[in-house]
Amino acid sequence: MRSLFRNPLGLTGFCITFFVVSAMIVGPWISPYSPTEADYMALLAPPGWSHPFGTDSFGRDVLTRIFYGARVSFSVVTVGICAAAIIGAVAGLISAYLGGWWSGIIMRISDLLFSFPSFVLALFLMVLLGFGLANIATAIALIYIPIFTRLTRNMALLVKDEPWVQAAELLGQSTLSILGREILPNIAAPLFVQMALGLAFGIVIEAGLSFLGLGVQPPDPSLGTIMADGREYFQRSPWVLTLSGASISVALLGLNLLSDGIRDVMDPKLRARL
Amino acid sequence: MVFAVGMTRQLLGRLGGVFILALLGSASVFFAMRMGAGDPAIAALGDFATPEAIAAFRTKWGIDQPVVLQYWKWLLNALQGDFGTSMTIAANVPIAKLIASRLPNTMFIGLLALTIAVLISLFAGTLSVLRHGQLVDTVATSLAILGISMPDFWLSYVLIYIFALGLGIFPSYGFVTPPESFSAALYCGFLPALAVAAPMAAAFTRILRTALLETLHREHVRVARSFGFRASFIFIHYVMRNALIPYVTVVGLQIRYILGGTVVVERIFGVPGIGALMVDAAFARDYPVVQACALTFLIGVLSVNLIVDFVCAALNPREIT
Repeated sequence: MRSLFRNPLGLTGFCITFFVVSAMIVGPWISPYSPTEADYMALLAPPGWSHPFGTDSFGRDVLTRIFYGARVSFSVVTVGICAAAIIGAVAGLISAYLGGWWSGIIMRISDLLFSFPSFVLALFLMVLLGFGLANIATAIALIYIPIFTRLTRNMALLVKDEPWVQAAELLGQSTLSILGREILPNIAAPLFVQMALGLAFGIVIEAGLSFLGLGVQPPDPSLGTIMADGREYFQRSPWVLTLSGASISVALLGLNLLSDGIRDVMDPKLRARL
Repeated sequence: MVFAVGMTRQLLGRLGGVFILALLGSASVFFAMRMGAGDPAIAALGDFATPEAIAAFRTKWGIDQPVVLQYWKWLLNALQGDFGTSMTIAANVPIAKLIASRLPNTMFIGLLALTIAVLISLFAGTLSVLRHGQLVDTVATSLAILGISMPDFWLSYVLIYIFALGLGIFPSYGFVTPPESFSAALYCGFLPALAVAAPMAAAFTRILRTALLETLHREHVRVARSFGFRASFIFIHYVMRNALIPYVTVVGLQIRYILGGTVVVERIFGVPGIGALMVDAAFARDYPVVQACALTFLIGVLSVNLIVDFVCAALNPREIT
């Protein structure tokens, strides 16, 4: 952790991510406006003192909507990515350590999921499951499960014949404890990098789906639905779309820099293998 | 000769694998669609349809039969190029015809985007390595980080704002198919392709830069240098060629994102492609069309993976067994 702060990329990424997350948590408390209540006295007001990011066509404060929208987007994506990381890690460990026909089945399923363009897979799942928050999380999880499975498997294959794992086997530790206490901690760093990258990409998927109208449904704000609102009057009042898009970019920038930073300070051997 | 035999065997093996994946993919898409999705009869006829009308609709589309039988029939027809007809968005038009009319547009945008991304990244990646640690390098790497933080649909509007509304150089909406007029297609397709390409270009630049920097300090390069070869010769023949292997692999993996990216961008710029078709079909709950689009994308990715494997094999003959 301390070496992460000595790395300029990692430090910048951490600061941006910290800023975004705290704005997301504190913002809705500070803001005097409601994210969904219309104010017909202030329709499409340009950015100014009372509305830093302007208002949309219902007179709703855009900054407030972005705070609430970011909360929704982040929580949906976090749930999806965490689920994918847990399922993928378990599947990858089983596949690498136990091998056999289990491994074959797991890897074929992951090949199959991996062969769809991620956004097409998400779109397909939304049609299948219906639009809505829980289904976006499911779609993101399904997109990321094969990625975590492959990563875990590859990393576990590299360490499973190391002396300390063999020692644990000779000591008669159970398979579960070998996987959980000997292998998993040693391959955790690349998994965390992938989680940070996954959060960034998951935000893009959620925003893209909601932007098309296939994700979070209005009037609930999410980063994608705010942009979709802004699209309708983009020419007349560009700030709704531009400022919500820029907020997405800031969040992504933070996460991307953070994952670069973690990767740089990680074990250099692991870095070469990624 | 050994090279050719190894190549052929590998080709056959890979083709078999791709065929099995395509079959598995079509089966899972088909079953998932039948099990998970709502009733297509109600989607097509509305909530107030009479039970008789719904029953007639089901018989007409064969939805009343067992799912396995439905899949078998569908597969037999699909292998003969018959994907059935659209249910709601273009009633009774053969899906094969819909796909055939839209696939070239998506391929055009995708190839254009790929070309732009590869050209930008080869230029920027090489330049930032040749001027390693200097201002150009810093600018290129910062732009690359910014680039991967710009989702394509958001970048689309930035491009529309600058190039269409602001400068008026490119159109903001509409498309001309390549067979009608290639130059017009290039003109209309440039902004959408650029929106898809920019994040890819950023990712490609980063991987090329890393790969070049790693190769630059390898032993064979030092040996070549000690022989007194010219720097440009060493760079092209010893450094670039080795760095291209991870580069091509990553480019191949990112094709998934290029194809996925076209979905939203086609909608924004009004390009009549497979992605736009899939979104329209998703809204109209036209299940056979959604299914056919998903499979088209799957086959697209699988074929690209196959091509990438062979480019890599050609670049790195050691891999051929």
